[in-house]
Amino acid sequence: MAVRTIEVRERVMARNDELAAGVRTRLARAGVPAFNLISSPGAGKTALLERTLADLGRTLRLAVVTGDVQTQNDADRLARHTDRLVQAVVTNGACHLDALQVSTALDAVDLDATDLLFIENVGNLVCPASWDLGEDEKIALLSVTEGEDKPVKYPKAFRQASVLVLTKLDLIPYVPFSVERAVRYALAVNPDLQVLFTSTILPEGLEEWYGFLRARLRRRRAA
Amino acid sequence: MHEMSVALEVCRIAEERLGREALPSLRAVGLEVGDDAGIELSSLSFCLETLLGVPPFAGATPLIERRAGDVLRVSYLEIDDGRPDD
Repeated sequence: MAVRTIEVRERVMARNDELAAGVRTRLARAGVPAFNLISSPGAGKTALLERTLADLGRTLRLAVVTGDVQTQNDADRLARHTDRLVQAVVTNGACHLDALQVSTALDAVDLDATDLLFIENVGNLVCPASWDLGEDEKIALLSVTEGEDKPVKYPKAFRQASVLVLTKLDLIPYVPFSVERAVRYALAVNPDLQVLFTSTILPEGLEEWYGFLRARLRRRRAA
Repeated sequence: MHEMSVALEVCRIAEERLGREALPSLRAVGLEVGDDAGIELSSLSFCLETLLGVPPFAGATPLIERRAGDVLRVSYLEIDDGRPDD
């Protein structure tokens, strides 16, 4: 039997990246900055978005696509804080969102009537780092109830992110977490990382986060 | 685990290149996987062996070469074209 070799040289992610480019084009055309939130399960992605929708939702038109392996619990939580549609993607076992899921979810979102888009990825610091969803920026969250060394344990997620949001800072008095060490680890992996300090409980605990969002919105509108 | 998603995408690329009816003749799939590609090699290998071992495939072997960087691509497909050896 003759074995024939067919040269392929095709990137495995080529199709996903093509779809992601399509999402990016749609968002750019509508002038909507999009953020892909990545973290371990329980780092506080949904809590951050709940407060964000409650605090900014009256002045900004915020859209959310949220991914979970099972249940629409996060989407249900978020829907209590906004009149807008929260798009739930149930991945049925997959450990990450992909560009096709986001593209499909956006079909139901009026992007021309949207100021900012949040994509809440599946809680996982490994797989979501490998999938481009068409976002402008990946935002990594790290809570003070986790190990400070998460950035060096999962470098790809923190290397791909442009922003690190430290969450649950209200718990600092009760946990053995060194903010200084966590930031040092994060910057060792990605020296360009912008670090934001947040708490959804403390008064003014999200001012840095809101400042970041407003700055990104201004930048997009000026472009 | 995203190695299964990657393995499914590899199978889709093979089907796109060869056509579904030719998949039983696939003998090997050559892959290049970078050290920074975020892929656990043994897991990817296991997923590919599982998928390539059942129809429409007929026992193709994944041949994975490690590379530097974050490359992740299908480099070649080997098929038995049914003709006798030269």
